[in-house]
Amino acid sequence: MSAGLADLLHDAAVLHRFVDFIEEYCKEQERSQTYADASGLFFQYVEKLAAGVKQELGKEIERATRFPKRLPLLRSNIWTLKNYLRLLHALIKPAADAHTLTIPAPLVDLASQQLQRVERMKNSSIVILLTSELMYFQRPHTDIKDQARIVESFIPKASFPPKLGFIELPYSQGPSFFTNLAIYHEIGHFVYEELSNSDPLHPDMAALKSAVVRSVRKALGNGAKDPEAFAIAVRIIENWIQEIFCDLFAIRLVGPAFSFAFVEILGMLGFLSQNATLKFNPTHPAAACRFAEHVNLLRDDLWWNAIANVDADQKKLLERLAKLPRSSYKFYLDEKTLGPQRLVQVFLDVVVPAIRKLVRQVTPENATAVKRFENARSSIEDCLRVGVVPHTPTAGAPDPVSVINSAFCFYLTSLPKVVKQFEGVKAENDVAVHSLWTRRLEMWTMKAIEDAQMQDRFRRIKGAVL
Amino acid sequence: MILPRKEILRRMREHPVSHESNLVITPLVYDDESDIFDADSVDLRLGSYFLLPKTMDQPFFSPDRSSATSLHVRVHVPLGHFLVVPAHQTILGATLEFIKLPSDVSGQVLTKSSVARTFIVVETAPWIHPQYRGCLTLEIANVSNTPVLLYPGRPICQLILMRISPTQENAPPDLHKNKEDDASTRLDKTYFGPVYPEAPKFKNPEDDLWKIGVTRVSTFKRTRLHITKKGWQESK
Repeated sequence: MSAGLADLLHDAAVLHRFVDFIEEYCKEQERSQTYADASGLFFQYVEKLAAGVKQELGKEIERATRFPKRLPLLRSNIWTLKNYLRLLHALIKPAADAHTLTIPAPLVDLASQQLQRVERMKNSSIVILLTSELMYFQRPHTDIKDQARIVESFIPKASFPPKLGFIELPYSQGPSFFTNLAIYHEIGHFVYEELSNSDPLHPDMAALKSAVVRSVRKALGNGAKDPEAFAIAVRIIENWIQEIFCDLFAIRLVGPAFSFAFVEILGMLGFLSQNATLKFNPTHPAAACRFAEHVNLLRDDLWWNAIANVDADQKKLLERLAKLPRSSYKFYLDEKTLGPQRLVQVFLDVVVPAIRKLVRQVTPENATAVKRFENARSSIEDCLRVGVVPHTPTAGAPDPVSVINSAFCFYLTSLPKVVKQFEGVKAENDVAVHSLWTRRLEMWTMKAIEDAQMQDRFRRIKGAVL
Repeated sequence: MILPRKEILRRMREHPVSHESNLVITPLVYDDESDIFDADSVDLRLGSYFLLPKTMDQPFFSPDRSSATSLHVRVHVPLGHFLVVPAHQTILGATLEFIKLPSDVSGQVLTKSSVARTFIVVETAPWIHPQYRGCLTLEIANVSNTPVLLYPGRPICQLILMRISPTQENAPPDLHKNKEDDASTRLDKTYFGPVYPEAPKFKNPEDDLWKIGVTRVSTFKRTRLHITKKGWQESK
């Protein structure tokens, strides 16, 4: 056996062992836990791929034996497989950790269903991953897909599921509900990435892209002739666009509850100091700017009126930050260095209106959502006040978006009263008791969503009037 | 008096949820009322979450504060899937329905007769106190010699409701009035509003026994030995 062939055989054997383990790992997880459909789809893909890779490796060695001149090409094939599997390796364990006992499964189901109604997103699905970071992320999937396409050319049996996205949840927040509304924002990143790569480009996405170019030219003036400066400015504006797009996308799908969740998360991370809320940085627009956009959209969609009587600090904070003048926003390239402030101005004047239009175009129109919330809110809150899963006295169910928003309003305004009512005056300042009751509220809310989805499915399938 | 179907439905529909006479059973999924409401009972379905017995790392289970949750492992079986209950094994499940009993009504859970004939026995602690709220934790025993499949979503037990005579003790608290001497005085908050099967909650045996004047209690202490020059010693 030649040295080259021996090396190839060694590499192939190492890779074989690696995929063998991954395949077995996925099968074992599927046998021992329950996963959302998207995760199941992902594991099945990995298993098919692993089986295909093992088969392919055998063929490669056979070819190498027969055609020694093709050794370099075969070696590069093995490298391609290795690189791709390394990419998948980083996703498999976090996906396996995110089984239905460690994630807010009813919320994930609901969000996945709502995603189907977003323009060009039919048949999209989201794999939930658990991360060790205390932050929510969307894993960009374009690179994975590109590599998957190359791998598919020599393992045709394993094709990467179309429109599969990956969202990471902090493992500590897995079973909670209110903060996990942040997944809607991350789904927004997935949608934005899909829309950016779609062919033909969505007309409003095309308009947004040209607004970016226009605004950067305007901001940089003569500096726009420097291709590097131009590219950096475009990248920064793109980052800001995504954050605003995703916030507005989430509000369109789930209403003001997203804004409340966002305030909670920023508070948890310590990002709500006066200075921090006014700072744009190269990756994120200022929180105050984001909140201003939240409030604008909530007003336009009539949600703001519907929650007028919610006397919560979170809402007041939203209102206060939204009112801050644009001139108070500052763009910092890093902790101390100020960036070109003109970029913020053109972003707000030229780009943001185009984002608003795109969001409105791609998200489903839900004109009755606010009305339904207004009608259902008091009965949902009445249920929570007496420790009961929100429901309707007849066999119907309040719709999930109304449940989410009513429960969040209740959580922000009435939790202390409920604690006092059930646990007595002594428990009023007991942190552990408050935490326990938050957990209970979240459980009842999730149960109500689960029940509503079950009844909706039943109604659709049976065509019965409940 | 056992509540008849008409009275059950009346209590579910006529009173607001905060009313002391209100009865809650949710979700209700049926084509026809008679699918789940019998003349004197309501069928309840099996939920999707279970607590299965875990292999212990010690030779027995001690019902105390620290080890109460060490007995079980939590499992989710979505609708459309099944769980295999091995022969002669008992598991904990919960009803799909969340219930809230009125302040003048007690409940009892019985195995559905068709289920009982497969040698599945539901509940050995079947009594539900007035004002209870939550999904009911069900102890489900397979007393047959054959493993049996359980499908979440299928009817598994029936709830029978009985009116108790009103006395000062069970007079309903008015949940609306937010009084300081409140519902907390009468509601059992150990198992309040669960939506999953709940592991048992215990105090330590010495805390329970102290209440009846017992001052010396044996407890099991798990020790770890390590080798020294003098032989095996207990680790500190």
